Amino acid sequence: MTAFVLKRLGFAAITLFAVLTIVFFIVRVLPGDPAMAILGDQASQSALEALRVRLGLDVPLYQQYFVFLGGVVVGDWGVSLVSGRPVIEEILKVLPATIELTVASLILGIVVGVPIGVWSAVRRNKLPDYLARIGSLLGLSFPAFVSAVLLLLFFSIHLRWFPVISSGQGSGLADRMRDLALPAINLGLIMAAYITRVTRSAMLEVLNQDYVRTARAKGLAFAIIVWRHCLRNALIPVVTVVGLYLGILIGNSVLTEIVFNRPGLGKLIVGALNQRDYTMLQGMMVIYTLIVVLVNLITDLTYGLIDPRIKYS
Amino acid sequence: MKTGLGIALAALLATGQAYAAGTTLNVGMASADAGKLDPHVATSTPDKGLLHWMFNGLVRIKPGEASPEFIEPDIASSWTTSDDGLTWVFSLRDDVECHGDYGKIDAEDVVYSLTRSANADISAFAKDYTAFDSVEATGPLEVTIKLKNKIPSLLGLLVPYHGGNIVCKDAVEALGDEYQRTPIGTGPFMFAEYQPQQYVKLVANPEYFRGEPKIKEIFYRYIPSDSSRDLAFQSGEVDMIYGKQEQTWVERIKEVPGTVVSVMTPGEMSVIHLNMKMPPLDDLRVRQAVAHAISRDAMVQFKGPDVTLAAISPVPEGNLGFTADVPTYEYSVEKAKALLAEAGHPDGVTIKAIHTTLPGMLTTMEAIQALLREASINLEIETVEHATFHEQIRKDMSQVTHYAAARFPVADVYLSQFYHSDAIVGTPTAVANFSHCSVADAEIEAARVEGDLQKQLEYWAEAQRKIMAEVCVVPIVQSMQLWAWKDTLDLGVEVKGSLNLSPPVTEAASFSQ
Repeated sequence: MTAFVLKRLGFAAITLFAVLTIVFFIVRVLPGDPAMAILGDQASQSALEALRVRLGLDVPLYQQYFVFLGGVVVGDWGVSLVSGRPVIEEILKVLPATIELTVASLILGIVVGVPIGVWSAVRRNKLPDYLARIGSLLGLSFPAFVSAVLLLLFFSIHLRWFPVISSGQGSGLADRMRDLALPAINLGLIMAAYITRVTRSAMLEVLNQDYVRTARAKGLAFAIIVWRHCLRNALIPVVTVVGLYLGILIGNSVLTEIVFNRPGLGKLIVGALNQRDYTMLQGMMVIYTLIVVLVNLITDLTYGLIDPRIKYS
Repeated sequence: MKTGLGIALAALLATGQAYAAGTTLNVGMASADAGKLDPHVATSTPDKGLLHWMFNGLVRIKPGEASPEFIEPDIASSWTTSDDGLTWVFSLRDDVECHGDYGKIDAEDVVYSLTRSANADISAFAKDYTAFDSVEATGPLEVTIKLKNKIPSLLGLLVPYHGGNIVCKDAVEALGDEYQRTPIGTGPFMFAEYQPQQYVKLVANPEYFRGEPKIKEIFYRYIPSDSSRDLAFQSGEVDMIYGKQEQTWVERIKEVPGTVVSVMTPGEMSVIHLNMKMPPLDDLRVRQAVAHAISRDAMVQFKGPDVTLAAISPVPEGNLGFTADVPTYEYSVEKAKALLAEAGHPDGVTIKAIHTTLPGMLTTMEAIQALLREASINLEIETVEHATFHEQIRKDMSQVTHYAAARFPVADVYLSQFYHSDAIVGTPTAVANFSHCSVADAEIEAARVEGDLQKQLEYWAEAQRKIMAEVCVVPIVQSMQLWAWKDTLDLGVEVKGSLNLSPPVTEAASFSQ
């Protein structure tokens, strides 16, 4: 187990290095001049040159690359070209908000998606199955920003149950729940749609297994067969999809954070892209890569918990 | 259980009404986050709009106006100028307090501020101050500015817009790099808190020299999504919002009960620069044909009559030095075709434009493309990402350049940046002269050093006439600044314009309910 984790961490370090290298060079071939983005279109050529020197953009690319890599290793991710604040500080300030939203959506997705998926499989080709399939199709078809606006119109404007924007004030549980509710529902329902479909399909396969027939023949209660025996065996593909989808979820959170005006990595990356904030973009990529690598590792480890037959070597 | 859930839900929802009314102003700005909040560094509209409420200058433009003709004392109580216009002496008020515990503003602070504004290593506006020879404290409350040569509007450089913001020397030195995150000014509102991607909170400055503001706190909220900003305004969560520059936005937001929509100057002027060095636009008749083929009235209708004005001259209407007495080219497809035929293009011409993908600008260009097509002028638009657009037009790669800009409202700024030969793109001194226009250099330079305002105005007017006669540019429309706020918010002044692009929230602003 330890050897497996260490091996995976080693792969993670290699992946991270590759991503950092690619990101460094891609960010620099993006069109646009960060000096102009900062000084505006009225800046003179001399002022632009002076700023490029100050930002270290005048030295050869390979030198910039080594300075960047060295900084990442020692935890110095540079300073945002736009705000002047340390990149790591900026990211860490908003990272908890994105994690909070992602985890809440994940929980909602699982709580809604798994039972509906099971229900749909058990009632195959009956009304509940049709409803679940249509519902999950709708969930998958709606772009996150459209469902976000619809949720706002209904719950915030029509019913006035929730605020349109996250106020950012107050740190009590009630404030946090109020700010989190609609964004989490928005992302959680999309996640639930994915999970419903995967759970249904995995359950259908398991329900046809011999041991299920045997259990039924033995007179075991159907609920126990489904929830204790079948679901556990159907969970491997669900966990895989959840792990994979978590990356997509973080991507979808960009739009959700913008529409619900929540702080988070999404707003940070949009601002950084608009203003050619190289250092911030690099820092964001490091964080995204770390998250994806970590999620994959957790997913792999979860397999063993679900199925004891899986050995780590 | 049900009752418990009900109470919990009610408590949860009740907190949604926590937005204080009466003395708290919630503002929704179209931005994801704050930038550098140093007034000598900040250039973006969201940052400038916020700093507007925190800083003073030696002089200011009367709140609610945007034209330099409304300049009035601010930190300076009075001033004198020498006969040659090169020496200016400012007497300062003795009751201007810096925010926090940084003491009163004196001449040293003013000298420090203006010297900082002129320092290219720090300031984004250093080039505006190249004519400054010296800035000296000639008394505890007296500052003398000496100029190397006359400039069109010294007072214009001293309003709290770009480099004219007065900072507190002790605060800047004590805070170091932290200053751009904790700005200390002298204005009616003081920086209190910054929540990343959420808001900057300002509180009333009780020591403000014009009196303590009636509004006690401002939450300047960063809401990048246009629809979310509108919905937050509709739900009452914000009291004032930055608008979308569209006619439909005005029509939609007007429908929200109790809403004041403000259409403010200065406008952002859209023009079409015609590159006079590239055939076929090197022929005056072809440029005249382009001018005749574009209907400004149609463009105003297209952009929205409530949010745009027709542009007549290379200088926007409302700028000091603007004249409408310039050669104009009435909309006439026949004349355009005749001019093309005369220039040897009886079957029409094809011209190319590199253009940004920004939707607001692109739709304008597509409308122009449709108008030109009527006159057999085929405008090919090559769209590129916005940053690439800026890069390529500055490399002199486009025959036709559609540019929209707002500048300090003195004619010299537009004329120098867009129509003086020093500013031609692709040269070491380039700014934004995309047309290679150089016909009005003499008038632009003469106006800069002319001490007599009437003569100065005449030079500027002549420059505009020459530029239009040469058709270096085809002015299209001016898009105004749009804001909306609740009618319970009384700003205390009639708002016609705001140089800093945000409505004037001063000590006089209050809620009526």
